[in-house]
Amino acid sequence: MIGQQIFNGLTLGMCYALLAVGYSLVFGILRLVNFSHGSIYAFGAHAALLFVSLKFGIVPAILLSLLLTGVLGIVIDKTALEPLRKKNSIGIASLITTIGISNIIQNLLTVYFGSEKKAFPALFDFGTITVGGIQITWTQIFICIISFALMLLLVLLVKKTKVGLAMRGCEQNAKAASLMGVNVNFVISFTFFIGGVSAAIAGTLISGYYQIVYPTMGYMAGLKAFAAAVLGGIGSIPGALTGGLLVGVSESMAATFLGSTYRDCMAFVILIIVLIVRPNGLFGKKGITKV
Amino acid sequence: MDKKQHDANANKKKNMVYYIEYYVDKYKIPLAAVTAVLLIVLPQVVSNQYIVTTAVKIGIYIMLALGLNILVGYTGLVSLGHAGFVAIGAYTASLLATRLGLNFFGSIIIGMVVAGLAGLLLGLPTLRLSGTYLSIVTLGFGEIVKTIAMNWDPVTNGTLGVKNIPAPSIFGYKLTIANNGLYYLMLVMLLLIALFCYAVYKSRTGRAFLAIKTDEMAGIMMGINVTYYKVLAFVLSAVISAAAGALYATLIGYIDPNTFTFDVSTLILSIVILGGMGTIRGMFLGAAILISFPEVSRSLMDYRFVVYGLILVIMMRFRPQGLLGWKSQMPYRLSKYVKGRLEETKQDSSVVKQ
Amino acid sequence: MKKMKKIAGLVLATILAVSVVGCGDKSASTSDESNGGGKDTLKIAVAGPMTGDNAEYGIGFTNAATLMAKEWNEKGGVLGKQIEIVQYDDKNSSEEAATIAQKIAGEGNIAGVIGHFASGVCLTAAPIYQENKIIEISPSASHPDYNVVGDFIFRNNTVISAEAAASIEIATKDLGKKNIGIISIKTDWGTNTSQIIKELVEKLGDDSIKIVAHEEVVEGSDDYSPAITKLNQAGADVVICAGMYNLVAPVAKQYKQINPDIAVVGFSNAYSEQLISLGGDAVEGVCFPVIFFSESEEEHIKSYVEKYEAEYGSKPSALTSQAYDSVGMLLEAIEKAGATDSQAVRDALAELSYTGVTGDTKFDEEGNVDKQFVKVVIKDGKFVKMN
Repeated sequence: MIGQQIFNGLTLGMCYALLAVGYSLVFGILRLVNFSHGSIYAFGAHAALLFVSLKFGIVPAILLSLLLTGVLGIVIDKTALEPLRKKNSIGIASLITTIGISNIIQNLLTVYFGSEKKAFPALFDFGTITVGGIQITWTQIFICIISFALMLLLVLLVKKTKVGLAMRGCEQNAKAASLMGVNVNFVISFTFFIGGVSAAIAGTLISGYYQIVYPTMGYMAGLKAFAAAVLGGIGSIPGALTGGLLVGVSESMAATFLGSTYRDCMAFVILIIVLIVRPNGLFGKKGITKV
Repeated sequence: MDKKQHDANANKKKNMVYYIEYYVDKYKIPLAAVTAVLLIVLPQVVSNQYIVTTAVKIGIYIMLALGLNILVGYTGLVSLGHAGFVAIGAYTASLLATRLGLNFFGSIIIGMVVAGLAGLLLGLPTLRLSGTYLSIVTLGFGEIVKTIAMNWDPVTNGTLGVKNIPAPSIFGYKLTIANNGLYYLMLVMLLLIALFCYAVYKSRTGRAFLAIKTDEMAGIMMGINVTYYKVLAFVLSAVISAAAGALYATLIGYIDPNTFTFDVSTLILSIVILGGMGTIRGMFLGAAILISFPEVSRSLMDYRFVVYGLILVIMMRFRPQGLLGWKSQMPYRLSKYVKGRLEETKQDSSVVKQ
Repeated sequence: MKKMKKIAGLVLATILAVSVVGCGDKSASTSDESNGGGKDTLKIAVAGPMTGDNAEYGIGFTNAATLMAKEWNEKGGVLGKQIEIVQYDDKNSSEEAATIAQKIAGEGNIAGVIGHFASGVCLTAAPIYQENKIIEISPSASHPDYNVVGDFIFRNNTVISAEAAASIEIATKDLGKKNIGIISIKTDWGTNTSQIIKELVEKLGDDSIKIVAHEEVVEGSDDYSPAITKLNQAGADVVICAGMYNLVAPVAKQYKQINPDIAVVGFSNAYSEQLISLGGDAVEGVCFPVIFFSESEEEHIKSYVEKYEAEYGSKPSALTSQAYDSVGMLLEAIEKAGATDSQAVRDALAELSYTGVTGDTKFDEEGNVDKQFVKVVIKDGKFVKMN
């Protein structure tokens, strides 16, 4: 049974990791906790549901929803966050803005889609295989493979491409990067786009797994994924993966040994312990305090 | 000095908000008197229980905002888990009242003490963490408190919540919404808390808080025990929030773990930011707007929380320092007592020099 | 910069103005109603979650109430007055409900309240209604403590113990299973229900029937696999699922992935078209006891279901229909009493015996009702009567 639970936890953790990446990327560049990420995730899932119901075929529908969610990320940045950066507002202003945006998105979804849980088509529904007493569904396998592949892709993007170089530059020092000819605003928009797309992928995968979609789905998942991102060391993609998996497995374990009602706080308990021991997370770089 | 400051400001920016502010500041005393009279007669004039309930609710959120303001506005530590303190205060007080039959005033004080201890506990990570990381720990704290309230069935009654929380009573006289007693209790508590916050702000402690907010490093250099003051800020904030939480529990008469979600924490934070961090009257305005908004806008139905989100976004876009925020950017005014002492030391040192 | 400030000032001024005007408007309109409008309309409040996770129930209540009001209005209203349904959104939160109850009490011209959905929410609001002598009929509250609150508090739902007994009967007699697993939502209602199930099974006195495991889950989490794995490990062959359709459907789905033979038994609040649309194939064979069955052959039920479907495009759920009858009872009582005076109406309501779509209703001393259960099973994507 423990093996089964660990595997369930790993699958869940993969989904958290994918969501955590979005928090991580944006935080890396802007030092901003994007509280609207959970709602963007819900938006992605609803967009996929909408396009699937329009009968485009499932693959184009999902691609379209990814694109749309990515664009939503850019729109949020351009309309609400960029003006704040231009004015050099205090960090907390941006934080409140993202909370406001989260409110707007979530409630607009409620208005147009209704608040009830809606059925989402099953993805990769090819049945179950049993390995060493552990029952594994194909959906779980695909979730793990796709998440892992995407994570790898993102690491390559950040480490090997020109945009990635620019992203890293902005992360270290936006002003200096700008002086070196990096279009900082483009990089930020691009980061929000990637964040939106990864949220939409996570949304689609998780919705396909549980076959449920509803406007508040991003609330708890978002908070936990955020905890996962900080746990792993915010700004680091391998960190997000590790953090996500840790949160997923610990949740599963908590549900098994303590009861399902304890699972929601597990992410935070581990987070607090880790942060007290390692204030920058497991993989976080040590920040330098400038005087 | 003050007048000059005003004139300088007046020349710099002459917009409507400024003028309102300016005249409010100029006629402080008569305005305060008028407001006090209005607040006292309010329940007599509108004998509508619903409006009185909403007024009490606004009062409670003002207290919560004042509590959080000590952390966010004065000390510059962002807490995302204040609902946790509210929950501790509300649960401790109402459990003592329902299970042990303790008087409201006794139970509220114990609730405040327990929350203060929790604040001490939560303040400890500040030894190692700062900025966003600290905020995350507070967020986690809020969730953990909620989970404990949900699972510690023998004590908190789990998801069944605490029912039939008795109304507070003084010498056998019950204070309820119907006889406006709860409203006046709220006014008294609010007055005490607001005065307390003002006193803290004007004290040595308040100046230490401000120093930490402005530049922690410089504060350390000036010999401020930063850790002590950060933890103190957490404790004070927790105690005030707990008092408001206990009052809230008696107002609604029922609490369960879902009363204290992350949304409550963000709502309190939004009030602080909207009103203007670091000001006291900003909290009044912020709470009045954000709490009455969902009530007056019931006709908007589903859209009201969309509009609510829009208000936050637009506010931050155009007035990130909050509605009454300019006040906090004015130079800190020392109290007469401190000024006097400063003069003394000056003279002393000049005497020494001579 | 300066311009921005101006804009900000304007925006804020507008917001303030709107909220002030909003306030003014409202007080103006209410006074209007109490002066002039109150004479020819009779207001009934429907309070429930109109937004949020359980919105479909609140909206169902409103739809049903509006339908019933329309039928009466076509007949000329009650006591010569037209009936108006006023909707209140409590978001299924106790806090909102308390405020709304106070608001309704403040309005002073509401003849009765249909609602509040969850038992816990009802328990917060009920004392306020009782204090202000306002009749509350909840179509859904099933907590034993609910109508003990006072004599103005009624419900058109069976107490949970009756329903739990029916569910156990389905699991043990009709399906013939012995090893019961319970999965319940951790809410006031869910915790209480699962406790009652345990007590009832113990009372059966049959040693071969036992509860092998009980798992509590929280609302808002969609991953039930840890709980399911534990139930499966404990060897449950039937799962009694104490939750709304939004628990039953995913549990059935996730359970059938690891054990396709599991039998699932639910409660009447899971009886909704949404269950089938959300659960698909996985909810095939799920059974539950209901006091309203939309596929019934009875004439008055058939015509009601047709009317409802024509109006709102879907079949009424059990709780919606209970709300429909609740409004009917309230109106009938008002007519019998010949006045809108709440004491008179309350007395008439307590004496009333009403035949509606959810069976014959007669309140007992405490304002409870006793009803006949119909056992329903999902077969080929449809609800059918169990034989």
